[in-house]
Amino acid sequence: MKQKTTTKTSYHIPIGPIHPALKEPVYFEFEIDGERIVDVDVKLGHVHRGIEWASRKRNPIQILYLAERVCGICSYSHPAAFTLAVEDAAGIEIPERAEYLRVIQGELERICSHTLWAGVAAHEIGFDTVLYFTWEIRERALDLTEYLTGNRVTKAIMTIGGIRRDITKDMLPTVTKHLNYLKDNFEKLRHAFLDDKTVKIRSQNVGILTKEDALKLCAVGPTTRASGVKKDVRVDTSYFAYGDLDVDYMTPDVLTGEINGDVYDRIIVRLLEVKQSIDLIEQCLDKMPSGDIIAEPKPAKLLSQLKKASGEGVGRHEAPRGEVIHYVKLNENEDAPYTWKIRAPTYNNILPWIPMLKGEQIADIPIVAASTDPCMSCTNRVAIVQDNNKYELTKEELHRLSIEKTRRLMKQ
Amino acid sequence: MAKGLPKSFKKALWVYHCNSGSCNGCDIEIIAALCPRYDVERFGIKLVGTPRHADVLLVTGPVTRQMADKVKRIYEQMPDPKAVICVGNCGNTGDVFYESYNLVGPINEIIPVDVHVVGCPPRPEAIINAVAKAWTKLETLEAKK
Amino acid sequence: MSKKLSPEEIVKYFKDEFKTKIKDVQVRKKSAGSKKKESYSIWMNIDKSIFKPFVKHLCDLQFPHLAVTSGNDLGKTIELIYHFTLGYGTRFGEIVLNVSVELPKSKPEIETICDYIPGALVTEREKQEMLGVKIVGIPDTRRLFLPDDFPEGVYPWRRDETGLEKLYKNLHEVKK
Repeated sequence: MKQKTTTKTSYHIPIGPIHPALKEPVYFEFEIDGERIVDVDVKLGHVHRGIEWASRKRNPIQILYLAERVCGICSYSHPAAFTLAVEDAAGIEIPERAEYLRVIQGELERICSHTLWAGVAAHEIGFDTVLYFTWEIRERALDLTEYLTGNRVTKAIMTIGGIRRDITKDMLPTVTKHLNYLKDNFEKLRHAFLDDKTVKIRSQNVGILTKEDALKLCAVGPTTRASGVKKDVRVDTSYFAYGDLDVDYMTPDVLTGEINGDVYDRIIVRLLEVKQSIDLIEQCLDKMPSGDIIAEPKPAKLLSQLKKASGEGVGRHEAPRGEVIHYVKLNENEDAPYTWKIRAPTYNNILPWIPMLKGEQIADIPIVAASTDPCMSCTNRVAIVQDNNKYELTKEELHRLSIEKTRRLMKQ
Repeated sequence: MAKGLPKSFKKALWVYHCNSGSCNGCDIEIIAALCPRYDVERFGIKLVGTPRHADVLLVTGPVTRQMADKVKRIYEQMPDPKAVICVGNCGNTGDVFYESYNLVGPINEIIPVDVHVVGCPPRPEAIINAVAKAWTKLETLEAKK
Repeated sequence: MSKKLSPEEIVKYFKDEFKTKIKDVQVRKKSAGSKKKESYSIWMNIDKSIFKPFVKHLCDLQFPHLAVTSGNDLGKTIELIYHFTLGYGTRFGEIVLNVSVELPKSKPEIETICDYIPGALVTEREKQEMLGVKIVGIPDTRRLFLPDDFPEGVYPWRRDETGLEKLYKNLHEVKK
């Protein structure tokens, strides 16, 4: 009789760099045992465009337009943090009305970004209808952005010393009409996500990040707030006009009373933040003082003022995904800054993927990776090498695995 | 719509999207084109998950060094007849990233491009217009055979 | 979460322990909004020899949040600046602590802090490839952002002969 020898070895699956549910093309390598993930390795760098190096030949106003294109979805947060850093280094004071307007633009961007994420997360679970429904709500928020700034995605409304466009009294009726639409539909959005049985089954107790891991790995944004760590730059530091407004940390126990750190909690945190943003915009519109909106309106004078300034500055802002920090060093008699360092929030949220994915099934990879809010769906090829046979799973199949799991769970 | 289009499409176009290092602005406008406001699905245009099923390739982003050979491989995997659309200013001439140590040139130095869409990011209407122009080109290629 | 500390207390806590090895301490105050609520940031320059004990002392006070590390090429030395924050979780009580360490270009080495703060891995790997700093004891020495076939010994952030002078491509130019 033939002796059958079987050895248990673990397989390595590479995923990426073109991959579903990721902000930038990122390369993962999973070590799996059957259907369970044992270890994860992440490799970055596919979207490295050399932006910090490109800033050495530009003056600060030109760098604003470069900073916008670091990320299309947080295209307001990077110029915001950059201007905070330059104003810290050069000692420029901003008028009060500009600070309130900056808060309004930032919160509007947060609404657009969180509804975008909600649609992408629903698509990963398999609910395409919810994707179309949330993006329709997002289109109304983008209409409001276009009305206030002139463009949908790259707005170019931030400038050093203030903001470029004002909200005058005759614009207020349209703004309130759009805000009322968003408020009325928020309840439908909440019901579609949080009261649905299938969403609960797919997302509860999946992708758990414990509080100690979140602290030690320095995670930021809704990812860390969902694990119970209270970190939010708007509440911790007083910048723009947040010191006058009623802001608080949004952790899942505000709604449900307990904290688990799983994917369901992250959905709760983001939906609560949408409601908080609508509320903050209304508070700002009420309390906004009148006055100038920019400290130095002529660009040539501003540039000569910055050329004489010297010093170092740090600017931090709460983007929809977490904390953005920029560091700028200005030297005297030089147009361009000596050093510019950008740190986008996703870079701090990459190490937490490792404890979140260990022990999960392959069909859960898209929803767990998407729950920390990376970005778009690009494409993917997953290759599993088993003995001498090579199976290739395309994005459709990975997606199909995810949907099939949903159907299986629904039958139980 | 482009001139010379008959009232109904003869076949539905399947589209594949590839991100070669972009800031994601163009990518969200591509997905916004599929949503109920602009709704290209009523023409039969569908986003597929593999280049082997696709007729049209939408590329965004300035090509980084790590992604150059991957874009080429995707182009070679698509079956003929195919069309390539370069969406956004980054792929055309580099836009703000015109000088960099990690970027290898505009997209038409790597794969042949048929339609260029200008904008940073271009509006969804401009992207639908570009897909329609690619459609006429494919139809003329079919007619020549 | 964490108790509220004032910037003077923090500066005194470190000066008591390390005395003269801490130089150029600067406390900045900024106010924002109509109510003029204040926020503080501390800048200090420390000696390379006390770097690891400094970080341990900081973790004993309160576990910090390491935001990022930035770097400067100052001619003969390379300066690394660690941006920590303390006091998150308290309303308007967060203080940013910016600690800069200077390393000579002949021997740009510094110890890792990954054993105290595991989240520092990503930013330390970035400094290794961008500035040519050697981080002693780091668990993972691979490149982070640059491609694997990027030439060795070329550090994009440096301003001397190891920087990028000829290696960049202009996408805009028209080929004749």
